[in-house]
Order: sequence, then structure tokens, then C-alpha cells
Amino acid sequence: MEVSRSVLVIGGGIAGMQASLDLASRGLKVYLAERTPSIGGRMAQLDKTFPTMDCSICILAPKMIECFRHPNLTILTYSEVQEVSGSAGNFTVKILKKPRFIDEEKCTGCGVCAQNCPVELPNEFDMGIGVRRAIYVPFPQAVPLKYTIDEEHCLKCGLCQRMCQADAVDFNQEPEVAHLNVGAIVVATGFELFDAQRRSEYGYGRYKNVLISLEFERLLSASGPTGGHLLRLSDGRIPKRIAFIQCVGSRSLKGGVSFCSNACCMYATKEAILIREHEPECEVYIFYNELKVFGKGFQDFVTGAQDHWGVKYIRALPGEIAEDSKTGDLTLWYEDTRENATRSMTVDIVVLCPALIPRAANKEVGAILGLELDEHGFFKPKDPLFAPVDTNVPGVFICGYCQGPKDISESVGQASAAAARAAEVIALSASKEVH
Amino acid sequence: MTAEPKIVAFLCNWCSYAGADLAGTSRIRYPPNIRAIRVMCSGRVDPAFVIRAFEMGADGVLVSGCHPGDCHYVSGNLKAEKKMQNTRKLLKLLGLGPERLRLEWISTAEGAKFAQVATGFTEELRKMEPNPLKAEGNPKAPASTKKVVSEALKKTNVQYCLECGKCSGSCPISKINEAYSPRRTVERFLLGYADKVLYGTDVWTCLTCFTCSERCPSDVRFPEFVRDCRSVASKEVMEELCAHKGVSLSLSRIMTNPNIKQERMGWLPNGAEIPQKSDLLYFVGCLPYFDVVFEDFNLNLLKIPQSVVKVLNKVGIKPAILGNEKCCGHDLLWTGDVENFEKLARMNVADFKETGATRIVTACPECYRTLKKDYAERLGNFDFEVLHFSELLSELVDKGQIRFEGKLPRKMVYHDPCRLGRHMGVYEPPRKVITSIPGVEMVEMDRSRENAVCCGVNAWLSCNKYSKEVQIDRLMEAKATGADLLVTACPKCQIHWKCVTGEKLPVNPEEVTMEMRDLSVLVAEAMHLT
Amino acid sequence: MFICHCGINIGGVVNVPDVVKYAMTLPNVVYSEDNLYTCSSEGLSKIKESIGKHNLNRVVVASCTPRTHEPLFRATCEEAGVNKYLFEMANIREHCSWAHMHEPDKATEKAKDIVRMAVAKAHLLKPQEEPEIEVAPAALVIGGGISGMSSALCLADQGFKVYLVEKEPELGGMLRHLHKLYPTMLDASEGLNKIVEGLKQNKNIEVWPSTVVKQVKGFIGNFDVSVQRGNSETANFRVGTIILATGADLFEPVGMYGYKKYDNVITQFKLEQLLRDSQLKKPERVVMIQCVGAREEKGRTYCSRICCMEALKNALLVKELYPETDVYILFRDLQTYGREYEEWHRMAQDRGVRFIKYILEKPPEVVAGHDGKLTVDVYHALLGEQVHIESDLVVLSTPLVQHEDARELSQILKVPLGPDGFFFEAHVKLRPIDFATDGIYVCGTAHSPKNTAESVSQALGVASRAAIPMAAKRLRTEAITAMVDESLCSGCGTCVKICPYGAIEKDEKGVARVTAVVCKGCGSCGASCPEKAITMRHFTDEQVVAQALAALGRAVA
Repeated sequence: MEVSRSVLVIGGGIAGMQASLDLASRGLKVYLAERTPSIGGRMAQLDKTFPTMDCSICILAPKMIECFRHPNLTILTYSEVQEVSGSAGNFTVKILKKPRFIDEEKCTGCGVCAQNCPVELPNEFDMGIGVRRAIYVPFPQAVPLKYTIDEEHCLKCGLCQRMCQADAVDFNQEPEVAHLNVGAIVVATGFELFDAQRRSEYGYGRYKNVLISLEFERLLSASGPTGGHLLRLSDGRIPKRIAFIQCVGSRSLKGGVSFCSNACCMYATKEAILIREHEPECEVYIFYNELKVFGKGFQDFVTGAQDHWGVKYIRALPGEIAEDSKTGDLTLWYEDTRENATRSMTVDIVVLCPALIPRAANKEVGAILGLELDEHGFFKPKDPLFAPVDTNVPGVFICGYCQGPKDISESVGQASAAAARAAEVIALSASKEVH
Repeated sequence: MTAEPKIVAFLCNWCSYAGADLAGTSRIRYPPNIRAIRVMCSGRVDPAFVIRAFEMGADGVLVSGCHPGDCHYVSGNLKAEKKMQNTRKLLKLLGLGPERLRLEWISTAEGAKFAQVATGFTEELRKMEPNPLKAEGNPKAPASTKKVVSEALKKTNVQYCLECGKCSGSCPISKINEAYSPRRTVERFLLGYADKVLYGTDVWTCLTCFTCSERCPSDVRFPEFVRDCRSVASKEVMEELCAHKGVSLSLSRIMTNPNIKQERMGWLPNGAEIPQKSDLLYFVGCLPYFDVVFEDFNLNLLKIPQSVVKVLNKVGIKPAILGNEKCCGHDLLWTGDVENFEKLARMNVADFKETGATRIVTACPECYRTLKKDYAERLGNFDFEVLHFSELLSELVDKGQIRFEGKLPRKMVYHDPCRLGRHMGVYEPPRKVITSIPGVEMVEMDRSRENAVCCGVNAWLSCNKYSKEVQIDRLMEAKATGADLLVTACPKCQIHWKCVTGEKLPVNPEEVTMEMRDLSVLVAEAMHLT
Repeated sequence: MFICHCGINIGGVVNVPDVVKYAMTLPNVVYSEDNLYTCSSEGLSKIKESIGKHNLNRVVVASCTPRTHEPLFRATCEEAGVNKYLFEMANIREHCSWAHMHEPDKATEKAKDIVRMAVAKAHLLKPQEEPEIEVAPAALVIGGGISGMSSALCLADQGFKVYLVEKEPELGGMLRHLHKLYPTMLDASEGLNKIVEGLKQNKNIEVWPSTVVKQVKGFIGNFDVSVQRGNSETANFRVGTIILATGADLFEPVGMYGYKKYDNVITQFKLEQLLRDSQLKKPERVVMIQCVGAREEKGRTYCSRICCMEALKNALLVKELYPETDVYILFRDLQTYGREYEEWHRMAQDRGVRFIKYILEKPPEVVAGHDGKLTVDVYHALLGEQVHIESDLVVLSTPLVQHEDARELSQILKVPLGPDGFFFEAHVKLRPIDFATDGIYVCGTAHSPKNTAESVSQALGVASRAAIPMAAKRLRTEAITAMVDESLCSGCGTCVKICPYGAIEKDEKGVARVTAVVCKGCGSCGASCPEKAITMRHFTDEQVVAQALAALGRAVA
């Protein structure tokens, strides 16, 4: 059988995008399949990235556009892999393209439809604290910048169709099935967040001013629901004291996952610095257990946060949080190691840093591809030492968070590694063919 | 009686002791079985001393003071009278016989009376059986501290502590007692300072409420660790910290003696159907004893077992009840007395088997946890299904077998007892039962279910100003919900709260006084059975 | 001139027809139209049509930000025969209609200004060429440790020639000295031998042991490398890409915690070797101290990432060998970040390893004790008290540090070292294994401290990065580059110092010369040249100033 000089990448986050770009620039044909309506992944939701404090979407968007424009790269958004058969060098993949009810050829991304849509619901991109319409783009820099109709919430009122000047709305659109022939597959499905409601002592879901980190990130973002203004959701007040609680559901033998999520100490420090930038009068406390400063530039970042920005670190995880129902203020209890006594602190906002866990959907992806998962749901590398991006299935590679906890820099590096292996396998299969 | 009876006498300094002196000076003879202990006033005699004396094998106890009206301390003797009345009730319950306790008024001048009393009492006791609680056998050799601690460290996951501090941030005592910190206590054990800690108060301070272990990410079961260490910790320190002078623990220890035949069924309502054998056994617990010890609280604790029996009979269930039911042993186990706990457990299980029961129901969460978990784990071969009464009620509600008469239009709030909630995971059945009563509006406290706050005392230890603060805080929280009735499923919680509200309070009594009801009594009332 | 309505995004605020009319008043604007969506296929065909019909040789599209559609419109112009650098965009959406939605009149005025500015620049635009260069399909890998070897093998398997240069006589780097590798506890020598064998058998890889790199000239696709073996033998290679995998050194904590003062104070590295060579005599109590010479207030401020796991691994090995030995680990923050690393921590706790946290402000002290033993005094941060531990073996965990000869190499390759001494990548987040200089890549501990698995990951990563230009065989280089007017250059050398990419050199005449292929077009040189000898193609001084003048309403042409 002929070796296919193309690769399927599953997952359109930064890892999937980097692997795709490397392979496409290599001269291989790449299909980038992404479950949601736009590529970009988690990085698009971030305000800034540590330790450089770059605006996340500003450094991400050019990569997204590069993916879009690359002649060798075909982006398949709002798509899911359904079946895979074959072997390294020659896989047959069945992909389901869910109907957007929008003709992508005609849609120009102008947004008139959304402005007129009567349905408003919480926005996934803003972690539920912002809103979107039933016809929407997930975020303004979405790639492709095409609208999607959320079938579940659409009233089929037809207003969007009437307003659209490009005649792009098509309520009769059917799901499409595409059959691809690829030589290798790269899996980069990323992560989701541990459900912080499981730690009921922190009141997430009950107390309005207890947020999880990704929600808080949206609050800080200029493209977020408050336009980047640091406000309390309960009363719109500017906060005077904010507390971060690390390790919610991490490093746990029960009620969570056992591993460390790698990025939380750093991103909490980042958010703390952003708070101090936005509101110099606001005090910030980070409650932690072990400070993970192992990456390049991490320790200096934290030292800067302490010395220059005045962020305070306390080595204690609070036991519980209580809410003053009248004011919405939160009181947390913790053992203050400096005073060797249990104390309480009243704050305006609490930001919980939940464990970052492999997606539950990895099980399905694993079943479709025949991949082994470990007890946490990460895909198992073939040899953690010398074959970190290979899997038990030759020709299928993994990279990014779905391979194990890591931050953006490591995900990008590992994505290139998966791309190298995919290219290698195709080259080797092809050379075997020749002989 | 083959052996001579031993009598311990508590004699007041001003009257009775002098009277005894006079008997000697006057050379009046009386049998030498009596041993006198001088106290300043008969009112000094705590029922715990009397119970202790019997526990240690005394055949009779004499308490003697000044004649009423003559008490050197005004009315100490009247207090003695009341206390000894109660103590007799306890002796009656234990089946030891209230006659073994004599209360007499003997004045300085009544040397002859003293001799007369001593003689008469001795004669009486000679005719009775000796105290069945005479010391038996040799005490077990003490366990190796090092071994106990290192095994406990592993078994309860203490070795996996990450020092995150969630425990100290959750502990209701830590919040108000700066010196106490579960995190630092664990660290001391890990560093090898066990001996120092075992001679301090830290191991006894823990309420064993399981709030810390519920939240600990390393699954460190600190209360269980503390419990295991208590078996090798300083008993002297414990004695100092024990409330009510450990009378409750004495009672439990007394029950380990197979010769004790209690008389504890006096509370049974008329017409109650209690067969000898039944599929279901109702385990009552120590309520008959608490009813006496805490008489002054007017909690009417015996209404609880009465309500249980009435409700069960009403739905056609005829439970067996053990006539010589022993204490489940919960307090002994949690204060480190494993040997006596196991004795009680074995005796109880043998009695359970006699009834032919396959299911056991109890209205006390401590008995519930102890039977369901600790008996099963420590004895093995425990083939009984154990339910808390709220679970049984919930089953009955589901089957439609409970008929409530009319409406009960009250606003009530439910408190999750530690042993029922965090220890055993039973949160919904009580709530289901309460909300099934027509007219009831149930509200929740902010800190409910797994976040409920302990009632402040465990196994009668460390009842002090910190417990009071915890209790007051909790009662204020309950009151603040706007409910006018506080429902709980644990008699101990009620006792502890009632205790604090009876004291001088640092807050306005309005803020903490709430009508309280046990779930079983509430249900019986709603069924118009009381 | 094509002015876009962008639905109502622009048209709803800016009076587009008005702007179209205005545009026609500007010098040399011969055709002006408005489109609903210029980027639509309809709009694009209109552009192509108009270019042909009106003989346009400059195109301006007034619409959204160039950051999204500039490449699209440029490609469209090319297709119609107009050089893509003769195209300019006027941003009247993000910078105008979207920002001034409540002031349509002012927005329209501003749109006109923006259009005028674009036209002003368009006048001065010149066509540009993107020169192509050939890429030699060969790579130089500097460093024969696990990183160097892994990337070499991966590239060789893809069909590229690899020159692997190693300064030691043997391959293997740090791995030669290690005992067991976590998390699989594989023997380092076993893992190493497998790879070295594979390497030696690969026909595409030429191994040069005992060799150092002496000189590197050229640019991506065309690096001329001179190497030297021993004192005399030299060789030259022409390679397309260079991979830096030179590894790192270990810090020797002389003068710290009694090192070199007491015999029984050793480094973690030494312990590793004692364990490997079965030479560890049974200690009674081992005390390991973490962060020795790392995470300092000044100097080596970084965390060396791997020492906590090293300590855990060796603690477990000691416990396995001598179960009765007490092991203490004195740490500051336990870096157990990997997928299964926390389980190792639990395992160590299970075996009775004791952990004591100390703080930067109160480090432990190692003093002589009784009978040749040592006493380690440490302030227990949690309990707030001093703890004294008697020990007969103190093990210091020290950080990885950059090689002493790295500075020389960084100058040879013209790649920078970061503040922590390790090589500094193009962008910490999105280009972690590229250097800013095209065609040179970095991996392994040369980049930053990391373990074997992480090094292999990065090594495979650079294999992908390096394969891209080599597989393409030809590269189009950027047209937006600096150009030097030699007649004006005074040879001051400011531009040479300022260029972040090393793209400017002084030639034999002492005059600045730009290597266009290396230049990224940032313009820093142009902005610093005192003689106005350097300007940037497509962003000339004149073009920039013309836009400024146009903005202020001054004359355009």
C-alpha cells in the first residue's frame, strides 16, 4: 500500500497547532481536526502568559492565522474523529463534521446575525461568566472567523437568516462525513479543569465571589465580560484584597488527582501581578503548599512578584471559606506559619486554582485509536524516557498536556517532537516501500 | 458471702468524721469492714467517686454528713442527698442494687450512731452477693509505644502528610486555641517526638469530628491516628481532662463484667411490643444512664427510645431489645481503652445472636458507627446489617408506610452529627424524613453536610472554654437561619448544647436559645404517637 | 482604492461612500470603489478585475487590520500581476469604526485621514523581491550526549546527513556518569548503549569525537563550519542547520555546608556514582540538603528542576540497600512536578524518609559532631524550632550550571546566553527551542536544567524544527530587510552592535553590510544610524514620515 504523506492532528490548541505547522512547513499535508468551532484552545482564553507577560492572544493569533493560510494545512473545525483503521504509513480516518448551519464559503464573519439573535446564554469561552448568542463565534479572533449556530439553544426564529447579507445561513445543513487517508496521527487533546465544587468547603458554586482561575483570567482579559476591569461579580466593587488558593484537587490521594498540574503556582503569580498592575491598592495573597518554580525563569518571576510587586505568599492551604451573605465578602481560615496560629482573613475575591486534568473524552479518543491510557486519563507514552511522544500504536503520537502535565513552553517543544516522529515514521515507511 | 464485704465511706469533716472518731474514743465496737475517706462536706462527694468505688470492687459505699440544717457549709448535705438519689438510680440501672449505697446524717456527738450504721450496713452486705465487679485476672502488659505509633502512622496515612495546613485551617479548636495545631502535631510525630506529645494534652484535644480528614488531600485520618495513640498516651493527663470526672467511662467499664445484670427497661411505654426474638434489634445505647446524669437539663432523653419503639410498633415492626444491653463501647475506644471496648463488643455480639436478628437499628450515631464499622472491622464475623433510625425511617417513607397526622407548620434546621455525617456518609435520609412531614419548612445552615461543625465535645474529653465557643458559634448559626426548631439525630449533641445554654453566656441568650428535638421524637410527634 | 463596508462593522459607523469620494481627490488615486466585504471571493475578484481594467500599479484596501488579511490581499495582487509589496492597507475597522462607534462623524473624518496616510505611503512603495537561497540538506549537531544523539538519529532517519561533533573522546555526555534514570529506573548505561549502537550503525551520521567547533560563518541553509580535532586535524562542513546540544556542568559547592572540609559531605552526583559502583558503605543516618547553590538571592537564582527527584531517587535506593538507615531530606519546595513524581514522594514517605522544610532566610548548618560524625542544625520552619540531626553522611544537591566554554561557543555561533547562563531561546513560550537566528536550534540541558525524558523530548523537537528548512531545500527570505547606502556609512559600528540577529557586519572596507537572509527587518539599525545610511525596505524613513505628515494634514506628494 502506498504510504500517505499526510498527517492528522487531533486538537487545535497550541500543541496541535505547533505540530501542524511544523509538519505543513515540512511539506507534508496536514489535517487539523478541532472539536469546537475555532482553533486556539486554552491559550486564547488567557490574558497574559508567564513568565514573559506577553498578551496571550497577541502571540497566539498569528500562529492561528498561519495555520489558516498555510497551503498544506486544512483546518477541520467543529469536527470529531469517529473511526480509525489501518496502520503506520496508511491510516484511514472517518471524521464527522458537525453542521454549523452556516455556509462557510459565504460567511464573512461580519456579525450582523449575532447582533439580532434573541437567545442569550452563558459563554463557554468566558467560562460561563460572559454571554453569547445562539449564533456565535467563540471569540473575536476565532479562526476560522465563521459563525456557528448552537443547535441546542437555537429557536429557529430565522432572524439571523433574514439579516445575513451574504445569505450564509442554512438551516438544512447536514453533518458531513469525510474519509481521510493519513500516514501518521498526532493527538493533542489538552486538558479540562477539575470540578472545584467537589471541594465543598471552598463554596465554589455557592458563593458569588469565589471564582476559579480560568474565570478570573476572563475577568482580567480586555476581551472578557468586564472589558478587563477588575470588579467583583457580586456588586461591581473594585476589590481591595484577593486571595489565591493553590492545589484545589491536586496532589491528592483522595477527592482529587495525585499529580501536580505544573502551571498553577506560576499562573497564580502571573494573575497576582496583573492584579497589582490593574489595582495597586489591592492586596494579593497566594496560599500554597509547595511552590513549583522548576521551569526556566520561574523562580525569578516569583521573586519579582514578591519583591517588586508585593505579592504575599503564605504556606498554608485554607481549611474553609465562609461568606457574609450581606456583603458577599469571604472569610478564609488558615494556619499562618509566620505566627504559628490558625487565623482568619477576610477578602473580596477568592481565586481557586483547580487541578488541570486530562479530558474525560480521552477515553473515547483512546478507544477509537487503540491507545492505552494511564489511571489519570493521560495517554501513555511508549517509553517515558526514550520515546516520550510515541504510543503503543505505531504511527500515533501524543504531545502537550494529554501526554502529561506541562506548561505552554513544554507543550510547544513536545509538539515539535511529535511532528518529528510523525515525519520520521512516514519517511521510514516510504523508504521501506521503495525497497 | 464468703469473703468479708468491703465498705468505702465518705465522711464529712465537721460531723460524720468526728462522729466516727467519737465511736473510737468511746470504744464502741463495730465490724472492721469500713474504710473512711475524709471530705470537708458530704456535698463534695461526686457520683463519679461512688461509681468508681464500685467499679474497683467496693461492696458498699457509705456517704455521711451533717443533719439537714446543720451543714457547716449551709446546704452541702442537701446537695449530697440529691446526688446520691441519682447515683442510686444509676446503681439500679446497673443491676448492682441501690441498697449498696447508704446516705446517713451523723453528727459529731453521734458516735454510737456511727457504730450502729457501720454494723447494720455490714450485716446487710454480708447477706447480699459480693460486688460482681471484683478485680479479675492480671492486667494486660502495656503495648510498646513505638510499635503502636509507627503502625498508626502507616495505617492512618499520617506518613503521607504534605504539611499543607488544611487540617489546621479546618479544625474548630485550632481556630480558637492557638496552641493546638493538627499539622504541627503530625510533624512532631514524624520527627520522632512521639514521647513528648503523648505526655501532653494535644492527643486528647482532638474532637475526632473528621473535618480535617474529610478535607485532607493526602487522606490523613488524623482523628483515627490520635485515637490509636491514645492507647499509649498518659492516662493521668486524660483523667485531668475528662469531664464529669469520667463517670460515663466508669459505667461503660463496669458493664464489661459478665456478672452485671442491668435493670434498664423502665422507660418502655405501655403496650410496647418487644419480643425476645425478632428480625430487627433496636440498640438503645446509654440513654437510660444519661437521663439520670443529666436530669437537670430537662431534655427528656428517654422520649427518644420511647418514640423509636412507638413508631416501629405503629408500622408493624416488633423489635427485639436487649435487657442487658451493654454500652457499645464508643467512648472507651476513642479514649484508647481498646481492651475493654473489645470485651463489650464481644458480649454485645453474643447477645445480638441470641435474638436471631439480622438487622440492628439505633438512634445514636455513635452506636451506629461503632456497631457498623468498628465492630465489623475489629471483631470480624459480624453478619448484621446496621442502620441508623433515620435510614430506617427513610426506607419506611419511601414505602409509604409512615402516616403523618395533619400538618406541622414549623421552620426547622437540621444539624449533621459528626458520626452520622462525615464518619458514615449519611446526609440525605434525615433530610428526606424531615421534608416528608407535611407543613414543615426545612432550611439549611451554611455549614451543613460534610461541612457541619461538631457540637464541641468528644467522649467527654476537653470540655472547656474552647468547646463552649464552638457550641455558641454553632447555635448562633442555627438561630440565624430563622428556624425555630433545631433537629438533630444525636442525643449527645443535644446534651452538649443544652449544657452550654444553661451556663453564663458571653452573648445574649436570645441568640443561642433554640428549641431542640431529636429526629425520632419529631417523627413520633408528627405521627401523633406521643 | 477599495473601501470596505465590512457589513455594518465599518459601514454602520463610517460614511463609506463619502470616503470613496474623498479618496478620489487624493493624488494618483485613479479608481475608488466600496465593497460590502472586500475579503470575500467577490471582493477579491473585483480587485483583480479593477487592476486589469484601470491599469493600477498600486493598491490600497481600507478595511480591517493588516494582521489578518494582508497576506490574502497581497496574494490577490500578485495573482493580478502587481508585486505584493506595492499593496498597502488602511485600518479603518479596529482602529476606527470599532473604537468610535458613538461618534460616526468623527469616525468618518478619521477614516479619511487614515486613507490619506495609506495613500501617502503607497506613493513611495517600491516593488520588492524575496530572494531564494538553497538549503544544504545537512545538519551539524554540537554535543554528543543524549540530546545530541537523539536529534541526530531522528534527522538521519528522515534522510538528512548529520555531522555529530563531541568534544570528549566518547559519546554519552552526562549519562555516562549516572546510575539509574527515573521514572523507569533503567540503568543509564543500558539506555546509553542502545542509542550509541543505533547511532554508530546509521549511515547518515558522521561522528566526530574529541572535536570542537572553531568557527561558524554564513546563515541558514549555508553555514560554513570549521572544526578541530586534537591539535592539528581540521575539517570544514557546509550545513543547512545547526543544533546546539552541549549539555551542562555540575556546580561544585566549595565552602558550603562543610564541603571539602569534612570527608563525609559529598554531592548528590558523587552519591549517584557510589551507588552505581556499589561503593556506598552503610551509613547510619543520611541527611540530604536541597537547593545548595541554587535559588539564591543573587547569582544562581534559578531552580535546577531535577535535584528534588534525584534526591528522592537516591533516598529510595539507599533505603533499598540499607533499610535501617535513616534518611532525611532538607528541602525548600519539593519539585515533584511530573506525572508520577508525587507517587515517588509518597513512596519515600512510605519507606520512612523524613522531610524537613527549611527557609531561605535560615539555611541549615553543618558542624562537626562526636566521633567523626556531623551535626546538621536546621530551623524547622513549621514548628518554629531548631532541630539537630546527627549524621554520618551529608549529601548536597547542587544545580546544573553552564559549561565554562559556553561563552566562546555563544560568540562563535552568535547566539545569546540568558541571565541564568544557559542559552537563550527566541521566545520562551512559543519558540522555546529555536534561536532568534534562523537555522540554529537548542535542546537539552544547554537550554536549561532538565532530565533525560525532557531532553529527549526537546531533542526530537529540534529535529522537527531543523527538518523544516532542510526539507524545503530552498527558502524564500524576507524582503523587509535593512539596506545600507555605503556612500553614507561612516563605519561607526552602532548598527552591528544593535542588531539582535547578528545580521550586520563591517566588511573589508569597514562599511556596514547587511546579510539580507539573516535580517528580520526590525529596523533598530535604521533608527540608530547617525548618518541616515540605513533604511528599511518597505518601511523607509520617507514612507514613515510621509504617513506622519499625512496624518497631520500636510502635503502628501
